[in-house]
Amino acid sequence: MLKTIRKIRREAFFLDIHLSKISKSYSDSNTHRSLFKDMDARFESGSFNVIIGRSGVGKSSLLNLISGIDLPDRGKILMDDSDLTAMGDSGRTVFRRKHIGFIYQFFNLIPVLTVRENVTLICELDGKPRKTYQDRADQLLETVGLYDRRNDYPDTLSGGEQQRVAIVRSLVIEPQIILADEPTGNLDLETGRLILEMIAQLTQKNGQTLVMVTHSPEAVNYADRVFRVENQTLVVQPSLYSKD
Amino acid sequence: MISSPMVKIWLRQVSRHFLQTVLLIFGIALGVAGVVAIDIAKTSVSKSFELSTTVLTSRSTHQITGSDFKIPQSIFTRLRTDLGIHSSAPVITTHVFVKELNDASLTMMGIDPFSETQFRQFSVLAQPGSGNKGLANLLDASSGILIAQKLADENGLKQGDFLTLTFGTRQVKTLISGTLDSKDTRTNISLEGLILTDIAMAQEILGFKESITRIDLILPDETTAGKVKDLLPDGVVLVKTDDQNQAIRRLSSSFETSLTAFSMLALFMGIFLIYNTISFSMAQRRKLNGTLRALGATRGDIFYSVMVEVTVYAAVGSVAGLALGILLGKAAVLAVCTTVSDMYFVLTVSKTHIAATTLIKGLAAGVASAVAASLLPALTAARTLPITLMQRSAAETSLKKHIPRLGMAGGFLIWAAILTLVNSNLGPTYDFGGVFLIFIGAALLSPLAIVVIIQIMGMTAKPWAGVLTRMALRNIVRSLSRTGVLIASLMVVTSVYIGIDVMTGSFRLSLIEWVDGHIGGDIHLSASDQLSPSLPQGLLEKVQSLPSVGAVSAYNTHRIFSRTSGEVHIFSYLADLSEKQWTWSAHGQGKIDSLLDQGWIVVSEIFARRNQIQQTQGASVVLETLEGSRSFKVAGIFRDFFMGGGRIIVNRDSMERFWGHNDITSIQLFLHPGQAVEPVMAQIRSFGPDPSSLKMISGAAIKQNILGVFDKTFVITSALQILTAIVAFTGILSSVMALLLERTRELGVIRACGAQRYQVGALLLLECGLAGLISGIMALPLGVCLAWVLIHVVNQRSFGWSYDMVLSPGIFVQAVSLAMVAALIAGIFPGVRAARTDIGKALHME
Repeated sequence: MLKTIRKIRREAFFLDIHLSKISKSYSDSNTHRSLFKDMDARFESGSFNVIIGRSGVGKSSLLNLISGIDLPDRGKILMDDSDLTAMGDSGRTVFRRKHIGFIYQFFNLIPVLTVRENVTLICELDGKPRKTYQDRADQLLETVGLYDRRNDYPDTLSGGEQQRVAIVRSLVIEPQIILADEPTGNLDLETGRLILEMIAQLTQKNGQTLVMVTHSPEAVNYADRVFRVENQTLVVQPSLYSKD
Repeated sequence: MISSPMVKIWLRQVSRHFLQTVLLIFGIALGVAGVVAIDIAKTSVSKSFELSTTVLTSRSTHQITGSDFKIPQSIFTRLRTDLGIHSSAPVITTHVFVKELNDASLTMMGIDPFSETQFRQFSVLAQPGSGNKGLANLLDASSGILIAQKLADENGLKQGDFLTLTFGTRQVKTLISGTLDSKDTRTNISLEGLILTDIAMAQEILGFKESITRIDLILPDETTAGKVKDLLPDGVVLVKTDDQNQAIRRLSSSFETSLTAFSMLALFMGIFLIYNTISFSMAQRRKLNGTLRALGATRGDIFYSVMVEVTVYAAVGSVAGLALGILLGKAAVLAVCTTVSDMYFVLTVSKTHIAATTLIKGLAAGVASAVAASLLPALTAARTLPITLMQRSAAETSLKKHIPRLGMAGGFLIWAAILTLVNSNLGPTYDFGGVFLIFIGAALLSPLAIVVIIQIMGMTAKPWAGVLTRMALRNIVRSLSRTGVLIASLMVVTSVYIGIDVMTGSFRLSLIEWVDGHIGGDIHLSASDQLSPSLPQGLLEKVQSLPSVGAVSAYNTHRIFSRTSGEVHIFSYLADLSEKQWTWSAHGQGKIDSLLDQGWIVVSEIFARRNQIQQTQGASVVLETLEGSRSFKVAGIFRDFFMGGGRIIVNRDSMERFWGHNDITSIQLFLHPGQAVEPVMAQIRSFGPDPSSLKMISGAAIKQNILGVFDKTFVITSALQILTAIVAFTGILSSVMALLLERTRELGVIRACGAQRYQVGALLLLECGLAGLISGIMALPLGVCLAWVLIHVVNQRSFGWSYDMVLSPGIFVQAVSLAMVAALIAGIFPGVRAARTDIGKALHME
């Protein structure tokens, strides 16, 4: 059912993510390590994509490239017509602020900001007027059941609650893309399942493109497409490929 | 004691955080350097005073001296002929300027070569072939002088060269007839400030005719001393050499006390800086220590590794600090000795004396502060459960729990210290102990104060503060275990700045007031020749008749000898228009003039302090007069910033009766409003046949000269203020770098969320600025307290000056700005680094 709704909404949204001939390697004084070589991939707008693979193959690095946090050595990262690799740091930052939401394994909430302030942090950094985002932030908090805790600090919340705040933070700017880096990796099975459900529901409701790095087998059940990072490239996992 | 994995971990930590390690060691070095530099200045001044007087006073047991430091030469003859005392040597000493040595001031000493052998051992060098007859070389050459070999070498002088000596208006060309040398290093050093000449030659240069300055004596017993006393005419006194040297020792101790104060301030700052750097380093290692404990490291492993590491840093930093301190100390010695020489004409020797105790004190300050700073964290790391160590929040939670207790302890310490300061009279060291207690108390109170100030700021800023401001404010409270130490250290440093600034500012204002009221006048007239200070008769009437002159104040001043104060200036006024500030008067200020007419005297504050004159009815003091020792009742004590032994005012009759002077030595002219000074000076010059015999100086120039001397006196305080700024800067830089490292991941998240680089940099700068502002605010009461101690304890005990504390808003704005600007500048580098955070790496940092 979810996948059907997502397919319908997909038509109305833009921002396909296209990775073209991406190569990326890291070097330090002693070692040189190639992560990706001439990698091609496409994440369709509004789709739920899961990336799996062994630890250390570069799953998180791939998210960093997609978000513009890091740049490839070669190749292009295209968001429809926008080439992220051609932008400067400031341009990529603005792009990220407007179009990309993040969810991390360790929640990464700012400890000195309240729940609501964490959620609205990006909007405030963007200099948006409060009235343009406050209602939406409260509404999302209500949706994830944390409106009553809006004035509490993160250290008073449980892991699951913190991740729910992180989800709301990633959604409040209404980004077209959500990048999630093992969002359930730090949670128990039951909470992890609830969080997955929540991410899937909220992103599909808004038709957002979701790229999730995970080790969770359960996440695969929600995915439109499953990719595996191997041999320095991204391959579609045939056995898990959902034809919808 | 410390296992190899721990050493490996430590070394890796050093290589990974090399800049921080360098900053840590530099922090320790700077703290030690401050302590060492000022201590070197202190011991060097003390030693220089000692050396400067060693050669001059020699082995004599007694000295004969007199009013205006001039006694008839015939007394020397009578000592030998009437009493048969051959252990006697006539001496003339005075300060002269040497043209060829850039007008350097040296002590000229006129001696009788034949009488000297029992008193001073001079080893004279002469060029081969010129015939070395020792001191008798002086007798052979006309206008012959001897100078130290080292002085000659340093200035490229040799036997046969000429030196032009200036004394007052006189200039005499003298011939170097040999050089002085000694196998004793100390004597050699003291010789450097000396020009030795034959007494007849000195008399000729100074125009002393049949007079000498003093006679040195070696007397076997008090009976002989009694006989000498009986021989002496009125106005000439026999004093023990030790008593005579007391005055110079007091002068030395004035500077020593003052420098001790600054040395202790430097020590406080050093200790706080070292504590700050080490405690930051320890806080950072908390999690690592927790992990190591969890993996099986024993409590001992952790404790010893921390202690060994800190001791190594402390040792390296302290040794570097000693080297830096010696360099800074040399500069400080030069500055202080130049000031003293200029002010007192006493110190002609400026050598850097590096005492072993100074180096030990510096090393101890460095190592002990560092070890003390690390002891508690090391013990905590060893005793605490590994899981607690690994949770950074546990440290903050623990501190927050203790805030009220710390505040109470701080309040108690401050209260106890204030009680000690107000009630004790134990000496400057104890007073500074009290100040140190106040500093520690304030440091303990600081977490509470920070929380309160942040809450007030938060409430005030709420309506307009953006997310970055809110984050900056809360980050300070969140990391209180770190920011608390940083802010407390910065508070101490800033309060030292305020204390010194308020002290010098208040002093300067009081000095200006004193110059305006006490010295006043538009033109000052005196004789150019210091040896004949009387102004020509009739000059007073002539200047009074000038149309531009509104009023005239005239007086005479002469130098007399006081057993307790040494050289004292005694004044009597024909007309006195000065406005004195009285610190005490016997029967009310209005009665002063009538008491003076009754033979009472008025004394300066310094004289009163030196003579322990109680501010009560019936206070009196004994002075040497032409009629012998005589007791004078004290009518009042006036505030005075004149240096030296102090000043006494008597009426004209007393001056004539007891000291034999009825002349006029100085005239102050008060011109009608709007009258220019120069034309009046020109008119006065036209009065006499020899205009150069009159010394004329405008009131403005006198004021400028006095303030110039003031500024020189406080050159060491300016140096200390610069040191405070460097200490503040280093402390913050080191701390902010440490904080930055801890928060890399958080900053990475903010950047990943869409914060621009400048926004992350701004956040760091905002935090630094806020820390600076808070420490500046907290430093205000502490700085005022320190200023009070400096003004009412240190300066009064050191120099005998009293003045009111003047608090101007400008000083506080300046001090708070200093703290903020230092913090902001120190935050630039970490801010830039924060802005350049590699987001990808930061997000995966633990």
